Amino acid sequence: MKFKKLFNRIESIKLESVTKSYGDRFAVRDLDLEVRGGELMILIGRSGSGKTTTLRMINRLIEPDSGRVSINGANVEDFDPVRLRRSIGYVIQNIGLLPHLNVSGNIGLILKLEGWDQAKIRERVSELLNFVSLPPKSFMDRYPHQLSGGQQQRIGLARALAMDPPLLLMDEPFGALDPLLRTQLQDEFCKIKKELGKTIVFVTHDINEAFKLGDRVAIMDNASLVQVGTPEELIFEPSNELVSEIVDSKRKYRHMEALKVRDMMQSLDSGYFLEGNMPAEIALRKMVDAGLEVAFVFKESGTVGKIPLNEVLKAGNTGKSLNDISKSLLVFPADASLFEALTQLKEEGESMALVLGGEMPVGLLFSDRVLQGLV
Amino acid sequence: MVISAEILQATLEHFFLAYTALLAGIIVAVPLVLLSLYSERLASLVMKFSNLVQAVPSFAVVAVVVPLIGIGFTPAVIAIMLRVLLPIVKNTYIGLFNVDPALIDSAKGIGLTEFQIIRNVRLPNAYPAIFAGVKFAAILANSIAVLTALIGGGGLGSMIFEGLTNFNTAKILAGTLPVIAIALFLDFSFSVLEHRLTPEYLKNET
Amino acid sequence: MWNGGCLSEIPIINDVLTEVQRVWDTQLLSLRTLEHLYMFTIALFVSILIGIAVGVLIYRSPKLADPVLNGLNVVETIPDVALLVLLLPIFGIGAGPTVAASILYSILPITRNTYTGLANVPREYVEIAEALGLNPGEVLMRVRFPLALPLIAGGIRIAVVFTMGVVTLGGLIAAGGLGAALQNGIQLYDMGTILVTGAWVGLLAVILDGGAGVIENRLKVRYGTWS
Repeated sequence: MKFKKLFNRIESIKLESVTKSYGDRFAVRDLDLEVRGGELMILIGRSGSGKTTTLRMINRLIEPDSGRVSINGANVEDFDPVRLRRSIGYVIQNIGLLPHLNVSGNIGLILKLEGWDQAKIRERVSELLNFVSLPPKSFMDRYPHQLSGGQQQRIGLARALAMDPPLLLMDEPFGALDPLLRTQLQDEFCKIKKELGKTIVFVTHDINEAFKLGDRVAIMDNASLVQVGTPEELIFEPSNELVSEIVDSKRKYRHMEALKVRDMMQSLDSGYFLEGNMPAEIALRKMVDAGLEVAFVFKESGTVGKIPLNEVLKAGNTGKSLNDISKSLLVFPADASLFEALTQLKEEGESMALVLGGEMPVGLLFSDRVLQGLV
Repeated sequence: MVISAEILQATLEHFFLAYTALLAGIIVAVPLVLLSLYSERLASLVMKFSNLVQAVPSFAVVAVVVPLIGIGFTPAVIAIMLRVLLPIVKNTYIGLFNVDPALIDSAKGIGLTEFQIIRNVRLPNAYPAIFAGVKFAAILANSIAVLTALIGGGGLGSMIFEGLTNFNTAKILAGTLPVIAIALFLDFSFSVLEHRLTPEYLKNET
Repeated sequence: MWNGGCLSEIPIINDVLTEVQRVWDTQLLSLRTLEHLYMFTIALFVSILIGIAVGVLIYRSPKLADPVLNGLNVVETIPDVALLVLLLPIFGIGAGPTVAASILYSILPITRNTYTGLANVPREYVEIAEALGLNPGEVLMRVRFPLALPLIAGGIRIAVVFTMGVVTLGGLIAAGGLGAALQNGIQLYDMGTILVTGAWVGLLAVILDGGAGVIENRLKVRYGTWS
C-alpha cells in the first residue's frame, strides 16, 4: 500500500462555527456540530438547507470560508485532500459509477491506484460484492449500464468500502430508488450498519429514513443547524415549530394516543426473572449464559426491581444479593395509553418499563423500539 | 500591370465559377429538402447518401465528371455543385428536423397547417444550421474551384497549375494568395453575417 | 485474375473487367494504392498524436483554447490546393508537403473533439472521482480521457476523410499515390483510367470512413449511458 490511512478509527468529527457562502447567499452559516465516533449522524433538511454542503466540507470537496472542520482533533485543512478522501468512503444519490469501467474496475479503482496487485484486488472485490449481497461471479465483469438501479447502488456502497475507511459519507444514497427498493435497501443497510462498525454521516430529506437509520439526527434549515438529537428527543422536545413540523410530531402524538401500551410492548418470558436473594456472582453467570442485558426480581414489597447487567458486574464478589442492587422500575398496566407511558418514561429519564397484565408481568416497553415501530 | 490585370481577370473567373456553382447548389437543394420533408424514407436515404459521398475525395469527384460530361466551364460548375449540394441539404435537413417536438405539437394545437408549421416554426429554427451549411459550402466552393482548373474551369487554379508546370513561383503565388484571401474574407464576412442574422432567441444555442 | 467465372460471359461486364484490368496494369494501381495508403497512414498517425496532444494541452490551459482553435479554423478554410502549394518551398515536391498538408488539415477535428470531449465529461463523474480520492492527473487519465474517447474517435473519423482527400491531391505535386493515376487520366484524356481510378479511390475512402465509423460506434456502445 502506498500510504497509511490518515486515521484508523474516528473519535470525533467537529465542525466549529463553519460558514460557506456563494455570492451573497449562505450555504452554511455559523454551524457547530459534533459527530461522535461510531454513530450514524443524519443530516436532514429541505433542498438548499445546507446539508450536502456540510457533508462535503468533511472530505474537503468544499472548503469553508471560515470556521474549522476537524477529525480526531486535527484540522482537515492540514491533510492532503487526496489522502483524506482515500481515507473516507463516499456514496452519492446518482451513484456515479464510471460507465467505462466494469464493476470490478469501479470497486477496485482506488486499490489499483494504490498499487495493489491484480489477484489481491479481485479477492477484495469479491469480498465486497459478497458483503453487499451480489454474487461476485456474475457481477464482476458487468458494466454499469447492465445493472439495475438497486444493483448500482450496492456497487456504489461496495466501492466506498474498498479501502475499509473508518468514516463513510453518504449523500441521499437511496434517494433515486423507487419506494419499495428503497425500503428494502434501508432494511439491509440497517443490518450491515452494525457489522460495519463505522462512523457514518448520512444526508437525507426523508424523515422516516432518518428515524429508521440514524442514531442522532441533525435538522438543518436555511443554512443553519436547528436542532440535533436522538429521534426521541426530536419528537418529544422539538425546539421549535419547524422541527415539530419536520418530525411530524403532532400526527405521531395523535397516532400514539389511540394506541395502548400492549400494542408496542415486547413480550416477556420467565427467563428474565431471577430470585431476589441470589448472590450477584451467580446471577452474573446466569445472565451471561442466557445473553441477558437486564433481569428482574420480585421484591417483597410486591413491586418489581430491575437488575442491569453492569450493576451485577459492579457488585462482583462483594456478596451482595440481587435485592440489594435492584433498581426501581416504572410499571404500566397493559391497557395504559402508550402516549402517557412514553411521556412518563421521558420525564423520568428512563428508557424501559415493565408492563403488567393484571398482576402478572407480561412485557417490556422500550421507548426507542416504540419509535422505530412507529416509523 | 499586365500581371495584375491577369490576376484580376482570373479572380473574377474564379468568383463567377465558384458562385454560379454555389447558387446552383442552393437551387437544387431546396426541392430535395422539401421532398424529404414529406417522406422520411427519402430523407434518410438522402442523409445516408450524403454521408457516403462526403467521404469521397474532391479530386476523384472532379476527375470523374470528365468522362461523364466532358471538360470546360459547365462540367466544372457541375463538379463544384455536386460537392456543395450535400452539406447544404444535410444542414438544412438537420435544422428543420431538430425542432423541439413540443413546439410542433403546440403549433398543431393552435391549428397551423403543415405548410404553416414549416414556414413559421421549422424554418426560423433552422436558420442557424442552414447558414452554417451555406458558409461551409461557400468555402468549399472556393476550394474546389481551384481544382476544377484541371478540367478546364479556368480562373485562379489555372494560374497555380501553370505556375507549377513552369516552376514559376510568382505565378503560383499570384494564384494562391487571392484564393486564400477569398477564403479568409468569406470566413470573416459569414461570421459577421451570422451574428447579425441569428434571431435573438437562438443566440445562446449557437 | 479478372476472367473466368460466368459473369465474364456477359459482354458488357466482360468489357468492363477487361478495361479495369488494363487500367490497373498500365497505371500500376497496386503500387499507387500502396503509396497512397503509406502516406495516408503516416499522416493520420501523426495527426492523431499531435491532435490529441494539442487537445489535452488546451484543455489544461484554457486560455490557449480559443486562439489555438481559431488558428486551426483559419488553416481549415484555406483551399487544400493552395495549402499544398504553399508548403512546396518548405518541403520540396512529393510526399513531404502532401503529408504535411494532410496533418495540418486533420489536426483541427481531432484537437477540437479531444478538447470538447475532455471538457464536457459530466460533472457527476468527475466529482465522484475526486471524492474517491483521485488526484487531478488521475482524473484526467482515468476518467476524462476514457469518457472522451467516443468523441475523439469521431474527430479521427473526420480526419480520415480529410487525409484521404489531401493525399489524393498529392498526385498533382509528384507525391505518387492514386491521385497521380487520376492526373494521368485527365492529361491523357483517358476516360477508362479516370473512371476506374476514381471509383477505386471513392471505394477506398468509403471503406476507410466506414471502418472508422464502426470503431466510433463500438466505443459509443461500450460507454453505454454516455454518448
